[in-house]
Amino acid sequence: MEEVSREIQDPVAKLRFLRTSLRDYPRVSEVEDVPSGRARRILYRWASFEHLRALSAKAPVAAFAPAVPRKTLVTRAAAALTLLLAAGRLLMGLAALVVVFAVGSAAYRHARPSATPVLASVPGAATHAPAVPPRAGVAPASVWLVEMGAGYEQYSNGLRIENTYEIAGEPRRFRAVDRTTGLRGDTQTRPVGILFHTSESDVWPLEASYNETLRDSTQRLLRYVQRNRLYNYMVDRFGRVYRVVEEETKANHAGHSVWTRGDDVYLSLNAAFLGVSFETRWEGGHALPITQAQFLAGRNLSDYLRARWTIAADMCVAHGLTSVNPKKHLIGHHIDWARGFPFEAFGLPDQYSRPSPAVALFGFGYDEDFLKIMGEPWAGVREAERALAEEAAKAGRTVEDLRRERQQLYDRWLNEQSQADEATASGRPEPALPAGG
Amino acid sequence: MEERKDHLWKVAQEVEDRLDEMEKAGAAPAGIDVGTSKVVAARKRAKGIETASQLNAFIPIPYSRFTETILGQNDISYFREGDELVVFATATEKFANMFNAEVSRPMSDGLINPREKMALPVLEAIIGSLLPKAKTQGEILAFSVPAAPAGKEAELTYHEATLRRHFEAMGYKAVAINEGLAVVFSELEDNNFTGIGLSCGGGMCNGTLAFLSIPSIMFSIAKGGDYIDHAVGSVVGESATRVKVIKEEGIDLSRSPKDKVEKALHIYYEDLVESLVEALRRAMSRAEKMPKSDRPLPIVIAGGSAKPRGFKELFERALKGRGLPIEISGVRLAGDPLTATARGALIAAMYEK
Repeated sequence: MEEVSREIQDPVAKLRFLRTSLRDYPRVSEVEDVPSGRARRILYRWASFEHLRALSAKAPVAAFAPAVPRKTLVTRAAAALTLLLAAGRLLMGLAALVVVFAVGSAAYRHARPSATPVLASVPGAATHAPAVPPRAGVAPASVWLVEMGAGYEQYSNGLRIENTYEIAGEPRRFRAVDRTTGLRGDTQTRPVGILFHTSESDVWPLEASYNETLRDSTQRLLRYVQRNRLYNYMVDRFGRVYRVVEEETKANHAGHSVWTRGDDVYLSLNAAFLGVSFETRWEGGHALPITQAQFLAGRNLSDYLRARWTIAADMCVAHGLTSVNPKKHLIGHHIDWARGFPFEAFGLPDQYSRPSPAVALFGFGYDEDFLKIMGEPWAGVREAERALAEEAAKAGRTVEDLRRERQQLYDRWLNEQSQADEATASGRPEPALPAGG
Repeated sequence: MEERKDHLWKVAQEVEDRLDEMEKAGAAPAGIDVGTSKVVAARKRAKGIETASQLNAFIPIPYSRFTETILGQNDISYFREGDELVVFATATEKFANMFNAEVSRPMSDGLINPREKMALPVLEAIIGSLLPKAKTQGEILAFSVPAAPAGKEAELTYHEATLRRHFEAMGYKAVAINEGLAVVFSELEDNNFTGIGLSCGGGMCNGTLAFLSIPSIMFSIAKGGDYIDHAVGSVVGESATRVKVIKEEGIDLSRSPKDKVEKALHIYYEDLVESLVEALRRAMSRAEKMPKSDRPLPIVIAGGSAKPRGFKELFERALKGRGLPIEISGVRLAGDPLTATARGALIAAMYEK
C-alpha cells in the first residue's frame, strides 16, 4: 500500500487512498489464511498490501500488532476468494479515483459555480459597460405616485418602493465650493446628485433552494443599513427597492469623496448626493454584478429620483469614481462600481470617460494596490493626468509640484468644510473663513 | 466623516489583497488554524494554497468619534462595544506598544478563554476578517483543535463546540482536526503521513504520532510562546508584549545571549523544549497500542514558537538526552511553520469533501 501511495502526487488523493485502504484492511488480513505462501505473496502484491501483512484486523490504528490466528482450510479457500474480489474492487476503485480526481479538478477549474448571477460578462479588463437590456415599450410622460399603501409606494414607471425600513437621517445641509474663487456657496438642503454603490455584503446563489437564505441575508443587511443609516435606497437581489434613509435627509454613504459640476465643487458627498446601493459584490466589475431585476429596478429608481429632485445626468455617478483617501491624496479609496456601471443603459453619460475631478482639480494619484485591482485607471483618470501635465508644462513647472499645490488646496478646503460642519452640528455659527483660491 | 459600510468587509490592509484572491477562489474547502496567538486561514487556489493570517488579540480603547474616524481612515480593524472601541487583529500590537499596554487575547492556553467577556465577539470578528461566509451551504471547513490538556477536557469540549457552531452559522460544514495531525498532513506527505507532527504555538504545544495518516498518540502541554513572553517579562521587568516584539525581531538560540532579555529567552526556550520532549516521551511510554515501525520515524516541528534560529538544534539536543521508545530518522522544521497547521487543515477539508 505504501508503495502505491508513494506514486500518488496529490496529498488529498494520497490521504484518501490510505484511509480507504486501511478501512478495507480487515478483508485484506484474510490473506493470512490463504494456504499457499506463493499465492499469498501474489495476492498481497496484487492488492498492493505487501506492507500491511502485520496489521491488526481489529485495530488498524495500532499498526503492528500480533498476527491473527489461523483458521481451517475451508475458511482459507473462502478467504482467498473474498480477497480476489476485494482486490478487484480495489483496482476498480483506484481507477475510479483517478477519473474522479481528473474530472473533479477539471470541473473545479472550468465549471466552478458562480455565486453571483451575471447579466452579461465582459472578458478581461474591459472598461466598457456590459451589454444590458434596452428600454422598450411605452414609457409614461413623467414619473408620478400612482398609489400608496401600507408599507409601499407605486410609481408610474413601474417603480415600487418598500418603505417599512424608512427612518430619518441627519438634516441634509451642504455648500458647494466655487472652484474659481474658493468661496463657499449658499447652504443647500435638496440633493443634487445620485451616488451608486454596491453593498459588498453576502451574496448567495440566485436559486430557489436558497430562497430562505437570500431573504434572511437581505433582512439582516437592511437592518444593518438602517441601524447605521448607510444608504437612502437599497435594491435587493430580487429587484425590490427599499427606502431606508429618507430622501430629504443624508445617509452615511459616501465618505471622503469629490465630484464637480461646472464651477461647483462638492467635497464629501453624503449631504449633496442620494446614496443608492445594490445588494451585491462588485467583484472587479468585469461582469455586471447585479441581477436583471436589480438592473431594471435601479434604472426606474434613478429615473424617479432624477425627476423628483431635478438631478442633472452628469451628477449621477458611481461611488468608486468619487471616493478618495484624503490623508494619502489617492483616488479609489473605495472602488465599488469603479468599472462596469451601465451608465448608458440608465440614460446617463459615461462617467468613466469624464476627467476625474479629484485628479484634475486636486492632483490626487493612485497606488499599486489600486492598480492591482483595477489593472489600469479608467479613461477619465488618464484624461485628467494629461490635462495636469499640459498645465504644468505651460506654467514651466513639474507635474509633481503642481500636484502638491493642488493637494494643499484640497486639504484647506476640506478643513474649512469640516470646521463649518462641526460648527453646524454643535449649533454654533460657522467660522468666518478666508477666501480660497 | 463616517464611512460605516467599511464594517461589512474591511480588514487590515496587509491581508486585504490576499483575502481578495482567496475570495475569488469561490466555493472551495477551507482550513483554519485557530491558535492562541494567530489565526491562519488556508484555501485552495488554481496556483496553489493561499494563506492569510491575523493576530488573535485585541485591545479596548475609550470611544470617541475622533478616534473612530482615525481608525476608519487607517483601515484598522475594530468594532464598537458600548463606550469602547475594540481594536483587534494585526493592529493590536502597534497600539499596545504605543500605549505600553498589554494586549488581551480571546484565547488562553490554546482554548477559548471563558473568563474573557470579549473572547467570542473578537474571535468571531477575526475569523470573519479572514474567511468569508460559505458561498454555498455546506462547504467543508476543517478547523484545528488542540489535544486535551490534562484536566481541561471540559474546556476543550466547549472550545470545539463553540467554534463548530460559529463556522456552521457561517454556512460551513465544520470538521475538527487535531493540530499535530494537521502538521503531519501538511509536512509528511512524502512519508505517507507517517511520523510525528509537533505544533509549537502561542498558548501550547501539541504533538501527534500518526501512522499512515491515522493518529496514534496525541498529547499537549500548556506551554508556548506566551509562557516564554510572560516568564521572561516577569524576570526582566518588561511587558510580555514588549518581550514578544524583541523575540520576533530575531532571537538566535544558536548563539550566546547578548543581554539579560536574551539570556532569559534562552532559559525559557530550553525549558519549553525540555517540557515538550519529556511530554512526547511520556505519551509514548504510556501508550497502550504503540505502533512498532520497521523504520525510523521523522519529526517535523511547526508553529510560530519554533521559528527562532537554533530551535531545531535545541530540540535535537533535548531529544538525545531522553530515550524514546521508537527510533527517530531526523528532526526538521516545517516549510512555513506559521501556516503548516492551516495547510494541513485544508488537506483534511479537501479529503472530507
